[in-house]
Amino acid sequence: MASLPPRRWAALALLGVAALLPLVVRDAFVLDSLILILMWGALSAAWNVAGGYAGQVSLGHAAFFGIGAYSAALMTARFHQSPWLGLLLGVVLSIAAGGVIGYLSNRLRGPYFALSTIAFSQVLLIVASRWRGFTAGSEGIPVPFRPGLWTLGLGHVAWVYVALVVALVYYGVQVWLETSRIGYQLAGVREDEDAAEALGIASRRLKIRAVTLSAAMTAVGGTFWAQYVGFVDPFYVFSIDLSIRFALNTIIGGMGTALGPFLGSILITSLETYLRATFSGLKTGFAGIYLVIYGTALILVVRFAPEGLTGVAGRLGAWRARADA
Amino acid sequence: MLTLERVTKRFGGLTAVRDVSLDVRRGDLLGIIGPNGAGKTTLFNVIGGYYRPDGGRVVFDGRDVGGRPPHVICRLGLTRTFQLVKPFGNLSVVDNVMIGALTRLRRVSAARLEAERVVETCGLAPHAHARARALPIGLRKRLEVARALATRPRLLLLDEVMAGLTPSELTGIIELIRLLHADGLTLIVIEHVMAAMMRLAQRLVVLHHGEAIAEGTPAQVARDRRVIDAYLGDEFVLAQA
Repeated sequence: MASLPPRRWAALALLGVAALLPLVVRDAFVLDSLILILMWGALSAAWNVAGGYAGQVSLGHAAFFGIGAYSAALMTARFHQSPWLGLLLGVVLSIAAGGVIGYLSNRLRGPYFALSTIAFSQVLLIVASRWRGFTAGSEGIPVPFRPGLWTLGLGHVAWVYVALVVALVYYGVQVWLETSRIGYQLAGVREDEDAAEALGIASRRLKIRAVTLSAAMTAVGGTFWAQYVGFVDPFYVFSIDLSIRFALNTIIGGMGTALGPFLGSILITSLETYLRATFSGLKTGFAGIYLVIYGTALILVVRFAPEGLTGVAGRLGAWRARADA
Repeated sequence: MLTLERVTKRFGGLTAVRDVSLDVRRGDLLGIIGPNGAGKTTLFNVIGGYYRPDGGRVVFDGRDVGGRPPHVICRLGLTRTFQLVKPFGNLSVVDNVMIGALTRLRRVSAARLEAERVVETCGLAPHAHARARALPIGLRKRLEVARALATRPRLLLLDEVMAGLTPSELTGIIELIRLLHADGLTLIVIEHVMAAMMRLAQRLVVLHHGEAIAEGTPAQVARDRRVIDAYLGDEFVLAQA
């Protein structure tokens, strides 16, 4: 344990604080914020698997999120089954969709890949919002609340722990991608695909696997989010805004680092909930001010900390180590 | 070990490699020389699986590997380096080499040990933990060799690992190649630093406009009239004399 690097300790400390918070705080607003921080953090971690570790920057991950959200919502509202079955269905469907996106990543590079992922999520948005007979179209679907773990009808405190488990597992997946054989090979593919091929790495298959894993993780997050919030609106769950949120949290926190997506989510989600709570009462045009803050945060990070918050922490650590020496 | 039979590669109307045949036996150190644009790198790209040949066969250990993807060819025991070096820039030198080692070794700990050994062999030990992109070109060329070696090839293709090096770097890398060859590795080396190749290679193939115009020992090739006309020029022959 003593050899655990500082960033792992930081992650464990943050998760520990999240685990203890519901024991002392019962305020619904605080717990709601905590759940959202954990959920958006986990979803950004899912994005990071494709965008950070595999270097496939997608701006269409809302597609997988929406698949997960709709699978669970339709499973419960239409077929009266457990949302856990919906979760399973969401994973299966998103693996198929992830395979398509992964295939695209082998055909298209950089911005062209990102554009194709946007198109993909928009196609799903159109399907979900027009297929009235099945998805209720643009009205969206309310998710029925039936108390119990099997039906995912949970209180705030229980949701904190569900979100915490998801966050912990996703953090673990990222650590595995930093330390395992497949993780190193993926880093090679990200850095230079031709060189990775020359060294015996089946780069195309590896990229498809990474994107598919990322898609499935995002769908699971979408399922939990839909069950927590209780309503699925196609224009939200398939929106570009959402895709950008996953990417932004990760970029601000630090791409290709296990802690980054969570740091980004802590900063952005808490800022957003705070600003929304503060300004939403005013009649004037302040309601959208969190978007301005969003943009400003992104500009500041890109200008002053292009490696994200974890990069800044790493530099500070190195500077202190030098000062101590 | 490796046999090329009338290998041809065309790009549109341009024939970059035409009917090239050659034979590499276990333990050979074959040099391929020729002026810029002669088709040397294209030939490596065909052998390494980056280009599908338009004609002819590439036979490695009795198996036709023409058009197989690069990672399959590497796993069969044939690894190439790139003339324009392609380090994994954000990773450390030892991690770069370890990614090569992971092709044969499944355990990360074993691959790390192997990588450290190869880094040592290639004289990169003082820079093991530097980021690859921070290395000067001479060391990046060495890293290219180290990473390829870590995949434990039986045949190693080196694409201009000497170009652009200072004289002392050049001597170092020639020593390294000699060491690897003495250890039993079979190599094909592309170069247009002619003087280095005269010292190093056992056998030379000269490419010109995509065709193999001469083959033989360095001394034979240097006397070949077609080689002198196409590539060396009379001055070179005088200088050697």
